[in-house]
Amino acid sequence: MTEKNHFHSSGERAWCPGCGDFGILSSVENALMNLGKRPHEVLIVSGIGQAAKLPHYINTNGFDGLHGRALPAAFGAKAANHRLQVLVTSGDGDIYGEGGNHFIHAIRRNIDITLIVHNNQIYGLTKGQASPTSDLGMVTKTQPNGVSTIPFNSLAIAITLDAVFVARSFSREMEFTTQLIEEGVRTPGFSLIEILQPCVSFNTVNTYKWYSERVYKLDSPYDPADKLQAYKKSGEWGEKIPIGVLYKKPRRTFLDNQFKPKDLPLFQRKTVMKEIISLTNELFE
Amino acid sequence: MSFDLTIMIAGEAGQGLNTLSNILLKVLARSGYHLFASQDYMSRIRGGHNFTKIRVSDKQLYSPASASHLLVALNQESVDLHGNHLSNPSLIVHDLDTVQVNKAGGICDIAVPIRKIALDSGNALYGNSVVLGILTALLKLDFSILTTILKASFATKSVEHKKGNIKAATDGFKYLLDNFQGLNTPIGRVKEKKRMLISGTEAMAIGMMAGGLRFISAYPMSPSTGVFTYVTNKAGRLNIVSEQAEDEIAACNMALGASAAGARAAVTTSGGGLSLMCEGISLSGMAEIPLVTVNMQRPGPATGFPTRTAQEDLDLVLHIGHGEFPRFIFAPGTAEEAFYTSIIAMNLAEKYQVPVFLLGDQHLADSYVTLDKLNTNRVKYRSYLVKNGTLKKPYLRYKITKSGVSPLAYYGQEKIHFIVDSHIHTEDGHISEEMNVAKKMVEKRFRKLNGMKKEFPGPTYYGPGKAKTLFVSWGSTYGAVRETIDCLLAKGKSVAMVHYNKIWPFPVQESIEILKSRKDICVVENNYQGQFGRLLQRETNIKTGEPILRYDGRPFDVQFIIDTFEKRQK
Repeated sequence: MTEKNHFHSSGERAWCPGCGDFGILSSVENALMNLGKRPHEVLIVSGIGQAAKLPHYINTNGFDGLHGRALPAAFGAKAANHRLQVLVTSGDGDIYGEGGNHFIHAIRRNIDITLIVHNNQIYGLTKGQASPTSDLGMVTKTQPNGVSTIPFNSLAIAITLDAVFVARSFSREMEFTTQLIEEGVRTPGFSLIEILQPCVSFNTVNTYKWYSERVYKLDSPYDPADKLQAYKKSGEWGEKIPIGVLYKKPRRTFLDNQFKPKDLPLFQRKTVMKEIISLTNELFE
Repeated sequence: MSFDLTIMIAGEAGQGLNTLSNILLKVLARSGYHLFASQDYMSRIRGGHNFTKIRVSDKQLYSPASASHLLVALNQESVDLHGNHLSNPSLIVHDLDTVQVNKAGGICDIAVPIRKIALDSGNALYGNSVVLGILTALLKLDFSILTTILKASFATKSVEHKKGNIKAATDGFKYLLDNFQGLNTPIGRVKEKKRMLISGTEAMAIGMMAGGLRFISAYPMSPSTGVFTYVTNKAGRLNIVSEQAEDEIAACNMALGASAAGARAAVTTSGGGLSLMCEGISLSGMAEIPLVTVNMQRPGPATGFPTRTAQEDLDLVLHIGHGEFPRFIFAPGTAEEAFYTSIIAMNLAEKYQVPVFLLGDQHLADSYVTLDKLNTNRVKYRSYLVKNGTLKKPYLRYKITKSGVSPLAYYGQEKIHFIVDSHIHTEDGHISEEMNVAKKMVEKRFRKLNGMKKEFPGPTYYGPGKAKTLFVSWGSTYGAVRETIDCLLAKGKSVAMVHYNKIWPFPVQESIEILKSRKDICVVENNYQGQFGRLLQRETNIKTGEPILRYDGRPFDVQFIIDTFEKRQK
């Protein structure tokens, strides 16, 4: 990248040095630039957590709302203005824990947004408690006997619910992550890109080294249209961890049923007073 | 001669009580009568016991009646439950073969072979059309109005179904004329005129749409579901996107997302759902995102009485959402007030970028009244979004201004971008840990109150200027209190009333003006703690007298208030 990226913002980032979030931020900036987007055309929605600070560190529109509630807010914004390119960037605690119910229903609803989950398998902002994706046995301050609750397999759930685009990456693989984000954004409908991201302060198990030794890229002849195979891949964790596009299945998006791309956005439409008058007239019938 | 007649239609869920009542209401409204219809129903789809009370008069009505003059008993239970509580004299219409009436003094028994006539018309299901024919004859209404409405009501049904119902109605009409000549029904004549028939639900829904509603999201919950359903069914015609959310938390945050992107947004719910929206409302306060929340109250706590009425959530909406932020609360007293207030609510939410509550209840939502018209020009939609291309860089989403209100841009505007934020934030919406930023932003948000206090008229007064007892109503208690005043004035009592629709910001000065030298102030409200009375005392430092409270899930009627008032005077 030699040309100046207009999504890049200067200023302090309140992340720990070496945090995986830096790589993800660069990948998001680069993907948006490569896609030819301009800052006013994009909206990044987040919840609460270290990952959820991302909209503050990038030159574009942002909505930094409540813990766990990024997806409903993103849905509302996209419905109000379908011309906006809407992305959600938040963590595993935010999306899978506090917002688990919304994660399920956002996939069903299939609104055209790109969900980027920074998965560090730990709670960073609250200083090191287990997250829904923490591996079994991980000892934390609030799980002193080790995590005994099985990890949330978000990819398997997304595949089960026929999310249109399901991918995984690793924050150190910046170029690869950038490409996946570009593809996710280009794909109409709900795209999930989970990015494995080491937490250098609180996760002493799933480190850069740990991930680097395990991740491998999915390559042909792997076919992301094959649901059963995708489902099988989503269960692969431990010795080897696949990254890349696990599953793809095009389907109509929520707004396809409401607008055509060239239609005036909802928020700019007017109340038809003639219709209001006709509603009041109907009350005489 | 003035008249005031109440018809009770009673039966079990699944007997078509609603359709029957709605058609009768339409026939009466089209004939020129003034109506007030209230519904009493159980939280079940089949069985149980439900009834609708339709009050008919030649003058404008505001509240349900206490006793009924005419009972339409669709099953035996209806006679057993209500037969002894009718006014004297009274009439009972019922099926000759399946329902028995003990002819006590004053009861005129109108036993008609309803089921048999229906079967002769082709189907036992046409029974309610037989009843409609009987009532049309009994109330001396124009039969052709009934047939027009029946045809419209069954427009989507088969020809056979339509014909069968018309025949059933005709035979019911004839049967009554042939067999019950010279019956004296206490209904007077009015000049024929089409009247508007409207429920609080419809009034609020149409009002919000007239106020520029673009996005609505909700999770179904009685008694608020009607507003959401009404808007959803008109969404396409009115450029609205409606979405049933997975829960109230999602509904609230969806609306906030839409609103932040420039679309006027509302959510509808009842107490339990509102509890779940608590954090979202706090976000509306902090991020200064306009949001209109309709809360149709029902008795709580927890699941409470799902289909009954209450005014128990006043304290909740006064305080809902952690932290401190300004808000508007309105509690319209009638369907007419609900219509105009809802338009204003949509405008004010955007003008001040604050949460606005429309506080209704089951009684307001489900009651039908007749009106001459709604004036769609009286209150107009007005946009407060900045126009494209008029903004100067750098745009500050939370610019500190004298009024406390910052220019409201929308996402996607050429050459600018901004962030809305839930933290303590700077003028450009970024997270701040600075104490001075916090202080300035808190003060900025609360400066909005200066403008907000001047919006919307204060309490309205009814009755003679000087009165010994001043009644106070808020929200849906307006109607019963107003008619109580008329009734007590006619008896020579010295009474008047003041009604509150604007609850917050509390109209302090206007209240003190009205209340200061009053000897006896009597607040009437549908809760146990006298929540509005306590608010009134807190804000004005004026002591109120013993309130009249009702907390059994039922609305007030004139008799209830007068009985309690008389005990109170002793």
